[in-house]
Amino acid sequence: MSCIVEMKHVFKSFGAVEVLKDFNLQLTEGEKVVIIGPSGSGKSTVLRCINRLETIQAGTICFEGQEINDQSNLCALRTHIGMVFQRFNLFPHKTTLENIMEAPLIVKKMSPAEAEKIAVELLARVGLADKRDSYPRELSGGQQQRVAIARALAMNPKIMLFDEPTSALDPELVGEVLGVMKDLAREGMTMVVVTHEMAFAREVADRVIFMDQGIIMEEGTPAKIFEAPTQERTQIFLKRIRH
Amino acid sequence: MNLDYSVVFAKIPILLEGCWVTLQISFFALLLGMVFGIAGALCRISSNKVLNSGAFFYVWVIRGTPVMVQLFILYFGLPQLGIRLPSMVAGVLGLAINTGAYITEIIRAGIQAVDRGQMEAALSLGMSYRQAMRRIIGPQAVKFCIPPLVNQFIMTLKNSSIASLVTITELFRTGEQIIYTTFRSFEVYTAVAVFYLIMNSVFMVIADKLERRMARQ
Ligand SMILES: Nc1ncnc2c1ncn2[C@@H]1O[C@H](COP(=O)(O)OP(=O)(O)O)[C@@H](O)[C@H]1O
Ligand SMILES: [Mg+2]
Repeated sequence: MSCIVEMKHVFKSFGAVEVLKDFNLQLTEGEKVVIIGPSGSGKSTVLRCINRLETIQAGTICFEGQEINDQSNLCALRTHIGMVFQRFNLFPHKTTLENIMEAPLIVKKMSPAEAEKIAVELLARVGLADKRDSYPRELSGGQQQRVAIARALAMNPKIMLFDEPTSALDPELVGEVLGVMKDLAREGMTMVVVTHEMAFAREVADRVIFMDQGIIMEEGTPAKIFEAPTQERTQIFLKRIRH
Repeated sequence: MNLDYSVVFAKIPILLEGCWVTLQISFFALLLGMVFGIAGALCRISSNKVLNSGAFFYVWVIRGTPVMVQLFILYFGLPQLGIRLPSMVAGVLGLAINTGAYITEIIRAGIQAVDRGQMEAALSLGMSYRQAMRRIIGPQAVKFCIPPLVNQFIMTLKNSSIASLVTITELFRTGEQIIYTTFRSFEVYTAVAVFYLIMNSVFMVIADKLERRMARQ
């Protein structure tokens, strides 16, 4: 198995606030990693460093062996890395279909017919074939998030990053989004998911990472982290989210 | 009361010519002002320090000084440095520079009112900054910009009366010339005011229609 993302000795700060301190992470192709940890521990920052929405102060991040600090092909790099946001961030002035077609058209310069074909297929895949002409505001949160996943998949990424994809959803809508993500996992996609949905982590994750204050406190299989955490901080955190 | 509006009615064709010049000045000033404003706004939000502070300086100076002084510098001041602008050029340019500073602020605010997540989503899909601006941020910013821009357009049309001071015979100056020969100050000035009001009203109605249509989308 080859390494797809490698973060080595990464330091990231916002002004005086140190968010990542000597952070190290290796992701293998096809691997599913779930990141948990208290708010403000730097989980989003890790994801945002991988597709370089944030620039780091020190260390290296490699994508398929290539150092990503090489600015010149940033857009090309990002086409390989899909990202799904907590607040969906669909384009409100575009229909569902247009949201998905936009990047293939503009970035990949696909023909409209080709882009539409991909978009229609993806919409069917996330179970929203009948919503192709709806605007985001006409969809429920769960539907919006599924469209957002389809939009990211339209670029045919090699890895998908999910930043708390279900935290902004009403509880009854969480399942439909996790369902789509599980399908994706079954198909072999490399995934990094920040989430506190433990049942999902247990079912899908190869590895669970507990982050605290900008470092990896503890990591291991879901069974190990959830049933037998060795670090006191992990234990406290798990106790808190179980209520 | 000895008001006699028959004088004004007789001069309507000349006043309409003045209106036409006013519309021309305003149109070109706004067109150029939009160019300055869009460029200024893009500089203002740029991370490039030179562009950013350049645009800040532009807005600071223009908003902090009277438009009349700006126009006089262009038309009466520059010749001393050997730069002699035709009155029409000085008038349009002066108004454009002035309105451009305000439009810079309007567009900057409009762009910044768009949710930050939109830019991040666009970038994460592999779009360049330019593509994201043009396809994602711009269209959403327009919605926020239209009401204050309409206001600014109206201000510019009214401010164009200042062009009379650099010898452009637009509506206001046409009125003054009529007064020199007829001595009917009240009638002529009120007529001039009505003409400004009509021009702005037509514009407001169009803008209102546009705004409604945008809101529906
Ligand atoms: N753009 C930013 N500017 C300043 N501070 C930030 C910014 N983004 C995140 N931070 C800070 O970095 C820390 C980690 O943030 P984040 O990665 O979002 O944590 P998490 O996703 O684990 O809640 C927090 O203390 C947050 O306040
Ligand atoms: Mg977060």
